[in-house]
Amino acid sequence: MSRASFTSVARAVAWRSIHSYLTNPAFLIPSMIFPLFFFMAFAGGLSSISQVPNFDFPTGYTAFQFVFVLLQSAAFGGVFTGFGIAVDFENGFSRRLLLAAPNRGGIVVGYAIAALVRALVTWVMLVVVALISGMNIDGNGIDLFGLFGLALIVNVAATLWAAGVAMRIRSIQGGPLMQIPVFLVLFLSPVYVPLKLLTGWIHGVASVNPATALLEAGRGFIAGDPAVVVVAFAAALGLVALFALWARGGLRRAEASP
Amino acid sequence: MTADHPASIEATGLVREFKKGPRAVDGIDLHVAPGEIFGFLGPNGAGKSTTVHMLTTLLPPTAGTALVAGYDVVRQGPDVRRAIGAALQEAALDPFLTGREHMRLQTALHGLPPDVRIARTTELLERVGLEDAADRKVGSYSGGMKRRLDLALALVHSPRILFLDEPTTGLDIQSRTALWDEVSRLAREDGVTVFLTTQYLEEADVLADRVGIIDHGRIVAEGTPAALKGEIGRPTVEIVPCAATDREAVADVLGRFGERAGASPKGVAVRLAGGEGQLADVVRALDAEHIPLEHVQLHAPSLDDVFLAKTGRTLEGAGDDEEAVGQVTGETETVAA
Repeated sequence: MSRASFTSVARAVAWRSIHSYLTNPAFLIPSMIFPLFFFMAFAGGLSSISQVPNFDFPTGYTAFQFVFVLLQSAAFGGVFTGFGIAVDFENGFSRRLLLAAPNRGGIVVGYAIAALVRALVTWVMLVVVALISGMNIDGNGIDLFGLFGLALIVNVAATLWAAGVAMRIRSIQGGPLMQIPVFLVLFLSPVYVPLKLLTGWIHGVASVNPATALLEAGRGFIAGDPAVVVVAFAAALGLVALFALWARGGLRRAEASP
Repeated sequence: MTADHPASIEATGLVREFKKGPRAVDGIDLHVAPGEIFGFLGPNGAGKSTTVHMLTTLLPPTAGTALVAGYDVVRQGPDVRRAIGAALQEAALDPFLTGREHMRLQTALHGLPPDVRIARTTELLERVGLEDAADRKVGSYSGGMKRRLDLALALVHSPRILFLDEPTTGLDIQSRTALWDEVSRLAREDGVTVFLTTQYLEEADVLADRVGIIDHGRIVAEGTPAALKGEIGRPTVEIVPCAATDREAVADVLGRFGERAGASPKGVAVRLAGGEGQLADVVRALDAEHIPLEHVQLHAPSLDDVFLAKTGRTLEGAGDDEEAVGQVTGETETVAA
């Protein structure tokens, strides 16, 4: 008789995903390379943007871009986890999990834990590279706790979003549907310059984009001058709540499908 | 119903409809007793796997009810899943994990304590003959090895009921017979109830205590293999004499043992009134008449005959498979004189 519980299922699913991630270069290297590539390209190649008039971020352009790449890697870490879920459904492995799990919510939580671990591994690399490249940090420990806490919540939200899509489509063909909305939300925010320097339609879109609050709060943390913190955390937690319902609906759909 | 209910499967009017499709399962009733091996036999697309998916809570029924281990598959899915093990049609394995890592995952999924996990893993890998390959990635396993690992994974938590969905499809004879032995042992020694789907007639015949034959989503026959075959009739013996001129003499001798049956152009066949045991008497009688024989063939009624009788056709696609399996079970005995 199985003694499976919500916890045992979540832990087992997380172990398997983390094990596969850490032991397969095909999974590990791209998740490291892409954030580092974006960071080097944005912080290095576009650093002269910080010279434009009214660009006011004393901590420096490297730190300015670090926050974006951190949140981007958090979001895309969740999306890549969604890819893994879709592949598991496509090749039938998910049936093993569905058959063993008394409470199948543990499966989603297990994937989410794995996504967090993946993000943490990526962030360690990112921080090391950023510090080597001379990034300034003006925020204190509490600020940094806020920054990485925000990134963790973004990672969970993105994982739940991608899991919801993956469990509805149950094929890697759903990959673009997981990725493109996240990409659009991220890049329709003040990526390269502060919001006040954006003009035209992009300013209008960025002003209502929740990712803008996340970015501004993150940049405030690293600069030691926290801003829109409540709005940012409320937006991030709201996304988690929304996408938790979305993922639960996806799980119900997957349970009812052949 | 509670967990105290003996391990069994009970379904009433079970239906599964898919959108824009026919009823994959069309109102079947099942009763599988504790410790029984129930063979669910039918051609591709008959509804076998859909039935298993409903009974294992992978798919909700459109209508009807099913109790597995005393629990309702719709309302008490978690309890059902705790009580069952399943090896589905395509072994769901991760090519990047080793056999041992799969066992670690499965034992962890089922919440086995860490010390029990190691002992259970070692025991089961040894039982399915994979101890030497345990630390190889599953991507390098043969089809038979994957099946054996899948069976071991289904058993980690000592389930009371085991679902095996076409477990031997694609396996060679040795792997197939090894798996049959293990399934038999599970039922006889461990008292596990086995629900086995197959499209191999002989597999159902050799393994199952009772057989249900499904076609187009409906159960067309159910009973022990012997009873089902008994319904169809008695075995036939066909004799081909060396000389065509002896056919009449052969027919006269065979006439003492039963009524005439269809035969090849050179042969004479009768349905043995006294069953298979009369074959020796037939040969002795022909020898007493000094009739040289070219060929003697005994054909016992098979489950395919049952299927033919119930549906008007033979099991689709089963011909090739039967040929391979038939060598093991000797359904048809041929003697060259």
